[in-house]
Amino acid sequence: MMENIWLASALWIGLALASALISIRLALSVALIEIMVGAIGGNLIGMPLTPWVNYLAGLGAILLTFLAGAEVDMAVVRRNFGASVGIGFVSFLIPYVGCMLAARYLLGWDWPQAQIAGISLSTTSVAVVYAVMVETGLNKTELGKIILAACFITDLGTVLALGIVFANFTAWLLAFAAAMLVAAWLLPKFAPWYFAKVGRRVSEPDIKFLLLVLFALGGFATMVGSEAVLPAYVIGMALAPAFQHDPELPHRMRTIAFAILTPFYFLKAGSLVEAMALISGAVLITLFLGLKMATKFVGILPLTYFYKFDKREGMYTTLLMSTGLTFGSISALYGLTNHIIDQEQYTILLTAVIGSAVVPTVIAQKWFLPKVGLAKQEV
Amino acid sequence: MFKHIVVANDGSVSGFKALTMACELAKHHHSSLHMISVEELPDFPASIDEIVEAKAEENHKFHDVLEQARKIAKAKGINLKAEVVAGHAAASIVERVKAMKADLLIIGFTGHSPLYERIIGGTADRLVRLSACPVLVVK
Repeated sequence: MMENIWLASALWIGLALASALISIRLALSVALIEIMVGAIGGNLIGMPLTPWVNYLAGLGAILLTFLAGAEVDMAVVRRNFGASVGIGFVSFLIPYVGCMLAARYLLGWDWPQAQIAGISLSTTSVAVVYAVMVETGLNKTELGKIILAACFITDLGTVLALGIVFANFTAWLLAFAAAMLVAAWLLPKFAPWYFAKVGRRVSEPDIKFLLLVLFALGGFATMVGSEAVLPAYVIGMALAPAFQHDPELPHRMRTIAFAILTPFYFLKAGSLVEAMALISGAVLITLFLGLKMATKFVGILPLTYFYKFDKREGMYTTLLMSTGLTFGSISALYGLTNHIIDQEQYTILLTAVIGSAVVPTVIAQKWFLPKVGLAKQEV
Repeated sequence: MFKHIVVANDGSVSGFKALTMACELAKHHHSSLHMISVEELPDFPASIDEIVEAKAEENHKFHDVLEQARKIAKAKGINLKAEVVAGHAAASIVERVKAMKADLLIIGFTGHSPLYERIIGGTADRLVRLSACPVLVVK
């Protein structure tokens, strides 16, 4: 059946549709459900990863990262620069180093494998944090804005680490970095003019232009041993102010991404989970999840006191910064795809990442919600 | 007997049945009536836009629900206070009922399949179990 490209497509899209319907019914993120459905599908019926599936999944990851970069609110980061950069940087660095050293010396993983463990578990999920804050109304407070800005900084650290750690350190890497920075400098000036010039057309010349930039820089990144998600995030960040001014274009890109591309990415990420490794690796999954949260606490909690958060706010901030999902899964899948980690290690890391989306959020919501109450919504 | 009644309305047919019943009871007991609706946003999303989009859709839905609810209450001569919060339906309603020190919570009942009820459970079940005050379930 899998030789028949259309039947194979029907299977993948069928699973994506089932995930979407389940996510609506349960009010859970579609990404999380797609990973779970992918895991069930991969272990029960087998989901062969053909080159075209890998391509669509890869493109899904690039667009997801680009759109995450485009969500960065630089005005918020600038307004709360000290606290957000301080907390965000530490929130990346301590878990990265802590989890990497634990994987290397406690579990005896190779250095590259330990690096993947560190990067995957250093992340913070901006979207999970944002969802929690909308429910509590914290997104409108100063505390909420600092947390959100810090999440952006942590993600930048993760993406930079993923793009740099495994790169080949040659003159070409410098050329790539220069090309990326020039593009990030020029695009905010050129792109809005170009978008206005071509207007909104069925042929979508604006989206095609952005894809051209992402593919070209992604190709350059891959050539120098870096990762295509690095320029995607940086370019997304560079264009974020333009997109905040006119959100229609990223919205259209998101529709394309979530309809046809990211389901392949998340289903693929889930399909590579080994059921047996899930059982045999339960202790390691718990260990990594605990390590991620512990290292986030070591790094962030003292800083929250330094920045004069009260105890409850400090705990809440630390717990929210301990969440992770998209970038954690992208990092783990990068490790598996590039044969740095094996499928068992991937299963352990991905499950710990998913656990980190759920466990700290639930603890924060249940026991450490700052006293702002439920936010009344304006409708 | 009931000084302060809270009715939960998710915009469904049973939600409005609960509101109609709540208006009758409020009139009979000369109680204040507070309506609460909960916008359910997806948990653990992968992108901020997922939340923004879900919120916009819920806002649109509850704008109509509030208008219709106010019309019903006005027709019955009841001064309805209404609010919309975001979060999990059961947890948010329980929290608000407790905060408002309500005497009675009135909710609608939307049945699910037996399998869904067994595995996931309904909001009505949870509210009956967790509410700090008596609960009237309207079918």
